[in-house]
Amino acid sequence: MKPTISMRHNVTVQPVSEKPLIAAKDLAVKKQGTTICHVPELTITAGERVGIMGGNGSGKTTLLRVLAGLEHDHDGICQVATEPRERVFVHQAPYLMRGTVLFNVAYGLAARGVATAERNASAHSWLAQLGVDQLDDRRIANLSGGERRRVALARAFCLSPRLLLLDEPLADLDEAGIETVSAAIASLENTTVLISSPIPLPDGLVTRTVSIDSIEGMPAASLD
Amino acid sequence: MDLLWEGLIEAFRLIGRFDPLVMNAAWRSLWISLLAVSLAALVGIAIGSLLARCKFFGRGALVLLFRAGMGVPTVLIGLVGYALLSRRGPLGPLDMLYTPWGIVAGEFFLALPIIVTWTHGAISNLDPRVAETALTLGANTLRRWRTYLSEVRMAIYLALLTAFARCFTELGIAMMIGGNIKYRTRTLATATAMETSAGEFARGVAMSLLLLFGAMLLTFAIARLMRTEEER
Repeated sequence: MKPTISMRHNVTVQPVSEKPLIAAKDLAVKKQGTTICHVPELTITAGERVGIMGGNGSGKTTLLRVLAGLEHDHDGICQVATEPRERVFVHQAPYLMRGTVLFNVAYGLAARGVATAERNASAHSWLAQLGVDQLDDRRIANLSGGERRRVALARAFCLSPRLLLLDEPLADLDEAGIETVSAAIASLENTTVLISSPIPLPDGLVTRTVSIDSIEGMPAASLD
Repeated sequence: MDLLWEGLIEAFRLIGRFDPLVMNAAWRSLWISLLAVSLAALVGIAIGSLLARCKFFGRGALVLLFRAGMGVPTVLIGLVGYALLSRRGPLGPLDMLYTPWGIVAGEFFLALPIIVTWTHGAISNLDPRVAETALTLGANTLRRWRTYLSEVRMAIYLALLTAFARCFTELGIAMMIGGNIKYRTRTLATATAMETSAGEFARGVAMSLLLLFGAMLLTFAIARLMRTEEER
């Protein structure tokens, strides 16, 4: 039987596999004695597109960092059934390396040993999907905030990772940009996407949402 | 003042007709410094990167040691080098005393702390997102290291140029280890000191002018590099 997913927003129903890709229980991250992220329970199956909701300082970014393997110092259980190489995290303020847009987008593919022609073709394809293919030979210092965001997303998307962790992927984008990027995210197949994003999320961007609020003394995480 | 003026005119005359003594010392200063800095770069960039990215016991002490090494007087390096390379010293069998290779070895230790310290400082202060981005995009250790170096290349260029300037103009090492032997180990700095003390003021000024010319070239190179990097 194909499972259906409960939805908070107007979203598309997408079949997902039964096995959880992410399983967390009593996950807590403390910094200087203060809990900055607390998730009592979280289960995400492969293929889902999940929006993480929460106020400022609720620990959305920290959760994504733990799942990406960038934050190791935590309490509780956090199991991610993918190799670290199959997870890609895009920062809230993405960092682009010195060089051209094409160099940046192809960086991950080059790290995976993909041949130059193949990686350039893939990079161009994703730049085109995100509406910035004309920027391929532009130096990153000459990009606007929205262009930088799209380049960083293209760099992550062209790796086709099993788990994609996007921190505020729609920030800095204009209306057309939000539409283009949302369509690109929705087109990702076989990839589980977690998005820490402002409310409201565009229709169809996620298959369900998860709310966390980990500030001490406030209500704990709730799941849809 | 007249002495200086006459010295300047004579200096241009010597340089203009490619005086063999002046040119010989200039060429030796150049290749010795270039070789010493190149060798120090190979070792220093690796050590600086390791100190910046790897945690191990004694790391802080090593960083302090290299920082302190930037201020060591060249005569002290020359003195230690002399003691090590002299016939009775532990490195005496290498027969490097009073040879250009001995000066290269001494200048290597002059350049090394500069390159290590600058590389360590630049990589330590690198935006933490560089390492995280490279890691999450699947870069292995070697590729991440290349990425760090690429991101801090401006600081490394400056370190190399500073080290070169120090080596090109230093006197103590060349004098004590090289011995200032004519057509063998004489450099611009030792020649300047010797010619001036021998009363050959014009020749001394000519040597100094070449040193000054080298320093100015370096300044232009640094300015040019910085402008190019800013445009990127």
